[in-house]
Amino acid sequence: MMSPLPAPVRAALAARWPEVFPAEGDLDPNGPLVPADSHYDLAALLKEHGYLLYVTVVATHFPTPEGDTFEVATVLRNPSTGKAFWWRCKLGADPVIATLFPLFAGADWQEREQFDLVGVRFAGHPDLRRLMLPEDWEGHPLRKSYAIDTPHAPWR
Amino acid sequence: MTLPHREADVTLPKPARKDPHVDLEKLDAAADLMAINMGPQHPSTHGVMRIKLWLDGEMIVKAVPYCGYLHRGVEKLCERLTVVQLTPIVDKHDYVSPMTNEQALNIAFERMLGLEVPRRARYMRTIIAEIQRIASHLLWLGTFTLDIGGTIGGGASLMMYTFREREAILDVFEMLTGARFHYNTHTVGGQRHDVPVGWPAAVKKMIDAVDAHMPEYEQQCYGNDVLVLRTKGVGVIDRELALELGLSGPNLRASGVDLDLRRDEPFSAYDEIKVNVAVATDGDVYARFDVRMREMHESIRIVRELIDSIPEGPICSQKPVKVPFAVKLPAGRQFYTAIETPRGELGTYVIGGGAEKGAAPYRLKFRPPSLHAMSALPYALVGHTVPDVVAILGSLDPILGEVDR
Amino acid sequence: MAVDESERNFEHPLYHYWENMPGGGIGMTSLDRLLMHSARHSLWFFPMATSCCAIEFMTAAASRVDMDQVGTIIRPTPRHCDVMVVAGTITVKMAPRVKKLWDQMPEPKWGIAMGSCAICGDFYRDIYSVVPGVDTIIPIDVYIPGCPPNADQVMVGLQRLQEKIAAQLAGKTIDKDPRPPNMIYPAIGTHGDARQTEATATGQLEASRNLGYGGQEHRVPVAPPKPPAGDAT
Repeated sequence: MMSPLPAPVRAALAARWPEVFPAEGDLDPNGPLVPADSHYDLAALLKEHGYLLYVTVVATHFPTPEGDTFEVATVLRNPSTGKAFWWRCKLGADPVIATLFPLFAGADWQEREQFDLVGVRFAGHPDLRRLMLPEDWEGHPLRKSYAIDTPHAPWR
Repeated sequence: MTLPHREADVTLPKPARKDPHVDLEKLDAAADLMAINMGPQHPSTHGVMRIKLWLDGEMIVKAVPYCGYLHRGVEKLCERLTVVQLTPIVDKHDYVSPMTNEQALNIAFERMLGLEVPRRARYMRTIIAEIQRIASHLLWLGTFTLDIGGTIGGGASLMMYTFREREAILDVFEMLTGARFHYNTHTVGGQRHDVPVGWPAAVKKMIDAVDAHMPEYEQQCYGNDVLVLRTKGVGVIDRELALELGLSGPNLRASGVDLDLRRDEPFSAYDEIKVNVAVATDGDVYARFDVRMREMHESIRIVRELIDSIPEGPICSQKPVKVPFAVKLPAGRQFYTAIETPRGELGTYVIGGGAEKGAAPYRLKFRPPSLHAMSALPYALVGHTVPDVVAILGSLDPILGEVDR
Repeated sequence: MAVDESERNFEHPLYHYWENMPGGGIGMTSLDRLLMHSARHSLWFFPMATSCCAIEFMTAAASRVDMDQVGTIIRPTPRHCDVMVVAGTITVKMAPRVKKLWDQMPEPKWGIAMGSCAICGDFYRDIYSVVPGVDTIIPIDVYIPGCPPNADQVMVGLQRLQEKIAAQLAGKTIDKDPRPPNMIYPAIGTHGDARQTEATATGQLEASRNLGYGGQEHRVPVAPPKPPAGDAT
């Protein structure tokens, strides 16, 4: 669940991104929508403020009549309070976002998984290979345009 | 007749962080390295995973794990099935503790929809989860000691003992749900099966039997010098690295982080009871082993505390579901929530408003604790020898069904 | 064919010389019978244990059911084993390994599909990465349905296999066991894959059904020993 941010963190965020994190009032319960170029800086700032535990990253494909869009949600957790926080970034038809590997070593595998299944690329990732599927696989299964029962000769 | 343990003469190493993506060409000894493969069909990998090891003599210079040999595309399947149909699917993720998987999924949907869960159902969920934790740790203990091979009979005898207790636990679950393994007993809003007559007595009998045998296990493990020597100081994951990697559960607590979602983000009936969290500071294989053993005692205590006080009342706040489209998720709503399973933080990221007019989630992402545990291998294995690989891997306790999904 | 067939089955070199010796064929037949008779009562299992069924398979080998009482031993290397137990879902990434390990097992060998994932893919059978039934890759003699089957059902499957081996020894032709009812082949390519027409889907399905059999639909019986011909004296 999205729990309220502690006051010092909230103040630091409001000073940096006032349009996303207003000083007063509730944040978006779906996770605040942060510009994609602030993704890395936000993670670094949160890490400074005690959000040390890397939880997960989720990429989602949203096909629209105008073209494909993607959303990348990142979840961090503060181990001393046990509370989680996540934010979202919107990406265009050619989804590229900064990697969090320099901050969190766990981002390595999580971002590889999302690259494999959704096809979001993480700029600066040291080793962006497929994690789940064979290296020679075509397409990204969790895109909405990918049929669930796509055959893969000769095995199925 | 105790041998001097390693702790007496050596201080635990605190290795500097090594980059797992090290280029072998840059290593001095690259010419003499030998590459060997463990898996994907290897008896001690607990499923189908593969680790490629580059060895300098007997020492591991670089380790690259590969997973995905059990990738069943569950997240794609979840976009096609409705909320009600999903519970039996997630049973198969962490197949050593199916009950907590169901619990995680249904708690995610309940929190998203703001549904009440009756107190009786919350008590039942807590009891079930703790019994499941004992069963899961028992299976881990049996296979871990079998891999290390330090206990009596090359480890096989302890495995036979732990499977004996595990069978008793599965019998209790069978009495409750009618199934031995994949239960499908949680549902959105509560439970599907009420407590049968005589179940609390059966649980108490089973718990007494497990408790009576715990000293036997502890004597075989803690009192076993081979096991202690092979685990102390091996596979150290320090606090900072454990947090960065996103380890959770016993693996994280063994590295000195006092974080347990049962206490810090209570679900089910954990807000009504006190949970004593087992923490160790060394971060090595022995610490992870020790934390799990202490957690089993704590689970036994919690089950004993709750089993007599299951409140009366309904077990589900929703009407019994006849059609699979009964529960609908709101469109445009996104949500992350997590619970503590035997392996750690099992999170669920749900986006509502999918197929079947919102009865299916648009996107469902599981945050498997085992995948994070496995991603620690490139860091933990370097500098150790090949026999230590099975000890480190076993101590991290990854379940490949959950890693690959 | 998906698998490189140049990797031939294991064959003991002694067989070759023996076969070419005058009258050696009789000895060969007797040896085959002896091997199969022994194998029937000491089936060594190779666990191709991938997912949930592996835990129930471990339970079958553990204290309550105790598979060892009928002479089975679980060995982790294919070169020692008579029976491959496929316990769990087989994915596209794993399938070449399964085929390769099966090819490495020496004759005589048998296959058991344990659990509905190994039999037909269960509810994963439509999914892009799952092989719809392991009998499309290797020949399967006994199916043990269930999700997962109880440990005692594994014993029942083991007994069924022993019966089949006994019948094979007695010179009967053993047909392949049918898949359990309702455990069907999926209709691949029906959920809207643009690249897939109906004709290619049918061809694909046929190919995947016949994969690995080489047209051999049943086990060949062991010939009963013949009396030595051409008595010299």
